[in-house]
Amino acid sequence: MKNYLNQNPVVLKLTILLLAALFLLPLVVTSPTLMQIFILVILYAYFTSTWNFVGGFAGVLPLGHSAFVGIGAYTSTVLLQTYGLSPWFGMIVGGLLAAIVGVIIGLPTLKLRGAYFALATIAVGEGIRVLFENVKQVGPFKINGPSGISITLTENSFTAFQFDTKAPYYYIILIMLLVVLLLTYYMMNSKIGYYLAAGGEEPEAAEALGIKVSRYKVIAMAISCFLTALGGTFYAQLMLYFYPKSILGLDLSYEIAFIALIGGRGTILGPVLGALLLRPVSELTRIYIGDMLPGLHLVIFGLILIIVMRYYPKGLVVPVKALFNRHIIDRFSKPKRIDESTTTEKAD
Amino acid sequence: MSLLEVKNVTKKFSGLIAVNDVSLTVEAGQIVGVIGPNGAGKTTLFNCIAGALPPTSGSIIFNGKEIAGKKPYEICQLGVTRTFQVVKPFGSKTVLYNTMVGAFAQTQHLHEAEEKALEVLKFLDLDHKKDVVSKSLTLPERKKLELARALATQPKLLLLDEVMAGLRPSEVTEMLPTIRKINQTGVTIVIVEHIMQAIMNLSEKIYVISFGKKIAEGDPHDVVADEEVIKAYLGEEYVATQH
Repeated sequence: MKNYLNQNPVVLKLTILLLAALFLLPLVVTSPTLMQIFILVILYAYFTSTWNFVGGFAGVLPLGHSAFVGIGAYTSTVLLQTYGLSPWFGMIVGGLLAAIVGVIIGLPTLKLRGAYFALATIAVGEGIRVLFENVKQVGPFKINGPSGISITLTENSFTAFQFDTKAPYYYIILIMLLVVLLLTYYMMNSKIGYYLAAGGEEPEAAEALGIKVSRYKVIAMAISCFLTALGGTFYAQLMLYFYPKSILGLDLSYEIAFIALIGGRGTILGPVLGALLLRPVSELTRIYIGDMLPGLHLVIFGLILIIVMRYYPKGLVVPVKALFNRHIIDRFSKPKRIDESTTTEKAD
Repeated sequence: MSLLEVKNVTKKFSGLIAVNDVSLTVEAGQIVGVIGPNGAGKTTLFNCIAGALPPTSGSIIFNGKEIAGKKPYEICQLGVTRTFQVVKPFGSKTVLYNTMVGAFAQTQHLHEAEEKALEVLKFLDLDHKKDVVSKSLTLPERKKLELARALATQPKLLLLDEVMAGLRPSEVTEMLPTIRKINQTGVTIVIVEHIMQAIMNLSEKIYVISFGKKIAEGDPHDVVADEEVIKAYLGEEYVATQH
């Protein structure tokens, strides 16, 4: 926190202003459709930020994270539908389950490098989807195979995680995102963060410096899967209906990875920026040409990705930060510097 | 008791014997050199000590503990840190970040790691580069960063794998006092090196390896006078010109 407060005062003021605007947004925006888009932007920023713990910091590219979204959604929903347990409770159970599955998958796969890890995660993710599509019932839990689950409507209450208006959903996911961003910040500035970065970049050198690289990667995987699954429960409660293709498919996994790569993986703001740019694209294509060309948004993402990778391989967060530093911080924080530059110009 | 005792270590790669029954001892506080022609097995021996490769047979005892076959991170945690012949900085990170990764071996806290890292960088005269991204460093600076990172783990024994390879003679003469300075702070050093001038200057004791076998050991001046060493390392021609 000390470092955070040491930031440039302009940045601090702008952050407070932005946060205030975000919290006041539902008072201004009344259209539920528009609110839904905002909620989804934040939800995808959340998914990408949780993905970032592995994909951004551990130096690997997971392409099957929808599996953990699905585990979260299914766990809380079957617990709710079968035993009437609050989704808030199911959320934690789903998170823990996802962390366990993540560790089991991570132990053998995180030793793989580059494309091999990505391929392994695609395979596992797809395997889990097919499994859910072909199973109607597990013990007492109905999961209905490919037709999915609709959550029974109950009263408007916090414990039931169901609300008449969009605003409560908006606040819940906003707070979840802020918490994850804060966690990301703390992780980056801790031993785990340093060790993950080192192990991701030069595993051999990292091991020579006393780092058990695989252990730290598995820790990152567990954290990431736990948090991703919490978002899965949120998704289930927001939509009240989901099926394997919608929540366990490669579409979702790819979209998360696209957002991260285009925004800037391994940074705090990259996922937020990516979601802010790409989410509206996928919403708009779904609304206007979704019937004709479903999946067009992924094509567009692919094109954007190629262009961004060509010019900004570290993601759009790099040029955006540079622009921000040049035009906003300099203009607002240091009138002195402007004086200096004008005087030197005169001297010339 | 010696700090490091390598006893009859052999390393085979499917038929090829890279290191053949080599033994060496290092006393605490010494600088010990290991020399030999290209492909003699120096780096393989090093990899066995540092844990990057498990030896096929033999034993390696550090500080009274058997370390043969242990993983690199375990060996580092026991107090043996190595550098790499081909430098491996965390390229996208700054010099300070790189050094802090090393310093985290001894602490859990960010500010303590930062303090230690800055101290090491100052000691190696690299502190003015602390905010430079490591991939934009020059080769001598990268070699120094390798040293800084290793030193930040606060090792008892430092294994230097050709830290001077690829440096210009003037840069080598700059590096020599640095290594001696590290030794004076109480760190024992084993150094694998190609450059005779460097190793003659630094080492109290030299081991010569050729085709995987130890062919000589002892005081640097005695070793370079040894006929067999001259033949293996400096070449027959050198022998001829000497007579």
